[in-house]
Amino acid sequence: MNEIKTQRPLAGKRILVGKPGLDGHDIGAKIVALTLRDAGAEVIYTGLRRTPQQIAQVAVDEGVDAVGLSILSGSHKELVADVLAQLRALTAGNIKVFVGGTIPRADQALLREMGVAAVFTADMPLDVVVAELAHQLS
Amino acid sequence: MNSKPLDRHALGQALTRLANASTSDLMRSPQRTLALSAARRIGLTGAPGAGKSTLAGYLALHRAPGRRLGILAIDPSSPRSGGAILGDRIRMDELKGVSQLYIRSIGSRSASDGLSDNLPEMLDLMDEFEFNEVLLETVGVGQVEYAARVQVDTLVLLLLPESGDVVQAMKAGIMEMADIFVINKADLPGAQKMASDIKRISSLARHDEGSWRPSVLLASSSKPESIAALSEEIDRHQAWLDLNDRRKVLRQQRARYRLRRLIERRAGEVIARQDPSFFEAPMVQQLDLALQQIGRKS
Repeated sequence: MNEIKTQRPLAGKRILVGKPGLDGHDIGAKIVALTLRDAGAEVIYTGLRRTPQQIAQVAVDEGVDAVGLSILSGSHKELVADVLAQLRALTAGNIKVFVGGTIPRADQALLREMGVAAVFTADMPLDVVVAELAHQLS
Repeated sequence: MNSKPLDRHALGQALTRLANASTSDLMRSPQRTLALSAARRIGLTGAPGAGKSTLAGYLALHRAPGRRLGILAIDPSSPRSGGAILGDRIRMDELKGVSQLYIRSIGSRSASDGLSDNLPEMLDLMDEFEFNEVLLETVGVGQVEYAARVQVDTLVLLLLPESGDVVQAMKAGIMEMADIFVINKADLPGAQKMASDIKRISSLARHDEGSWRPSVLLASSSKPESIAALSEEIDRHQAWLDLNDRRKVLRQQRARYRLRRLIERRAGEVIARQDPSFFEAPMVQQLDLALQQIGRKS
């Protein structure tokens, strides 16, 4: 069984990949979604331009273990704060939130202080992203 | 209408637990008593790209007023990684007013019959949460994945105009199983001809006395009246089921399917974990050992 575990570090996990806000670039979100699928996760992809409220409600309905937000618009502070607040309002503050995209280094620590589990940037190898998620969701 | 508001958080969590339940978990879980006011179950099936998700969204919005309605949408799991991209709801979430509906995406996991592992149990859970109606969207199917037939009361098969020679319709399999045929995306050329071809084939088929004659409809998501017509036809079929006492038969068929799937999955797990040397023993011995392990509760 060990062999299966190392090949599929995210087996049985449900992860929502969402794009809040107005930026229309989702190739990054799609690559991450496919990577998570190949690591064994069930990925619910929301499509473009969802409101934080929609993303939080879908996360609750789908019973996910984690939410990944892809944000390239520069509005990450506002959007992330909003998603976290909406999740708490739906008594789902226990769902881990990850953020990926163009996040300046100075803002990464800020997002983590707000309650984000980890921040991923484009220069990170995808293996590192999978390993971090597997660690945080185990 | 329902006594208390839907606890979407509790339902979301419970369905996730159920999706991950092993065969051992299922064998240990107590037998659920059949709910008195079980939800009507409507299945939407058809080839990949036939428009199942979009039609499910429109149909759900049309039927939701005054009801607690949920959608269970199944997408295929990767046989290699076990993971899945569950994207059916993208189409639905774009529809106005859909946030009031409960939509749940499901990975097929080890099932290859158009449904998913533990689906009978998930449908029971929808009954426990007092849904009046559940729309079940299957994986995109070919000709032989017709397990949805017994899981739902009314099975709707979506076909596309010019999606095949009429001979395709004469083949056995899913074509024999549907209660309602829908030629979807009916604004495309060839829809009318497809509908009359299906009608002709269907009228030639042998029907037992008193059995339901499948109807053939045209639908297009840009034509609200075609959604309303489909909804009415579903109601007509549901009334026919009641009038002809068909629900008892369906319940019996569901119980058979549930046990068969449990044993199949269990057998798959047991066979997968044997060492290569296991298969060198005489077949009778292999069978004895495997059956023992299949019956064991933990």
